[in-house]
Amino acid sequence: MSKDTELVKKLQNPALKDSAFSELLDVYQERLYWHIRKIVHTHENADDVLQNTFIRIYKSIANFQEKSSLHTWMYRIAYNESIRFLEKNNKKSYNNIDEVSESNLEVLFEDEYFDGDEIQKKLNIIIDGFKEKQKQIFQMKYFDDLSFRQISEILNVSESTLKSTYYTCVKIIEKKILM
Amino acid sequence: MKKSTENNNKKSFLKEGFKSDISKHHKDYLGTGIPEDYFAKSKISILDKIKEEARVEEEQPKKQLVFYMRPQFKYIAAASLVFILSLTVWLQNFDTKEDFNNLKIESLAFEDDILIESLLVDDNDLDAFTDTTLFNEIVVKAELKEQKLDNLILNSLIVEDSLLDNYINEELIETVIL
Repeated sequence: MSKDTELVKKLQNPALKDSAFSELLDVYQERLYWHIRKIVHTHENADDVLQNTFIRIYKSIANFQEKSSLHTWMYRIAYNESIRFLEKNNKKSYNNIDEVSESNLEVLFEDEYFDGDEIQKKLNIIIDGFKEKQKQIFQMKYFDDLSFRQISEILNVSESTLKSTYYTCVKIIEKKILM
Repeated sequence: MKKSTENNNKKSFLKEGFKSDISKHHKDYLGTGIPEDYFAKSKISILDKIKEEARVEEEQPKKQLVFYMRPQFKYIAAASLVFILSLTVWLQNFDTKEDFNNLKIESLAFEDDILIESLLVDDNDLDAFTDTTLFNEIVVKAELKEQKLDNLILNSLIVEDSLLDNYINEELIETVIL
């Protein structure tokens, strides 16, 4: 039995739920925070969405049927919560991250917890210019340190497609940064 | 990252994966930071919020859901109801028309029976029926009507004479005496 399966069993047991949830936070809080932060950009927004994400996880864990891994399930919740947050804030509806306006990058550069130099700003702009899938694949692999197998489960894309997309992104970044 | 950009262009800008601090990785490459001890404080804040939500849920009286249906099933149910109602109305109209046609056929059959039976009636019976009908319908009614007419004429004569007498008397008194 994997660690995640064991954790799910504890989370679905009312007597062990609270202690298991604390354990879940230790393992996934930081990863999910950065996943969310890259979508909503500012720390303040990411903090709000992270809280909402974990509250939703806590409430829904009893219905989690392990059709996907716990990790995949939580990433999807975090993604949906981020999109919901942006829709609510901008009073617009989005089908995906591509539709979120570029003005969000301006918000990121003005955030008090952003102190990137010109190259870091440039990297943010290049990544923001990727298509939704490219962006997700690159960020999950490079920044969230997920394996291709895990990304494949989350995005429902074959591993070979993921690998080629990821290396294409890397080449684009290197070319543009070093230009 | 700066090293890679500053030193030489041949060296890859992006490292092949990392196994260290995820927050440091983001800080180094994207310039995004977090407050000090953020995750420890955030964990406490999330757990507190969950406790608070659980307490609020316990305090709130549970709504008793008498009947719940998913929205997509609601439309199906509404459509079914409309269909059943339409079918009922249509069937009712259909039955009425059927009854009317049946009635017409039955009455026509009845009329045919009378016609056939009338051909088989004996002449003497027919004469007797005619006499009785004539006596009842024509003679008796005619006599009654004649009697009523007599009464009417008699009454009118009596009434008119008395009115005339009164008038003459009054006129005479007025002209002679006055």
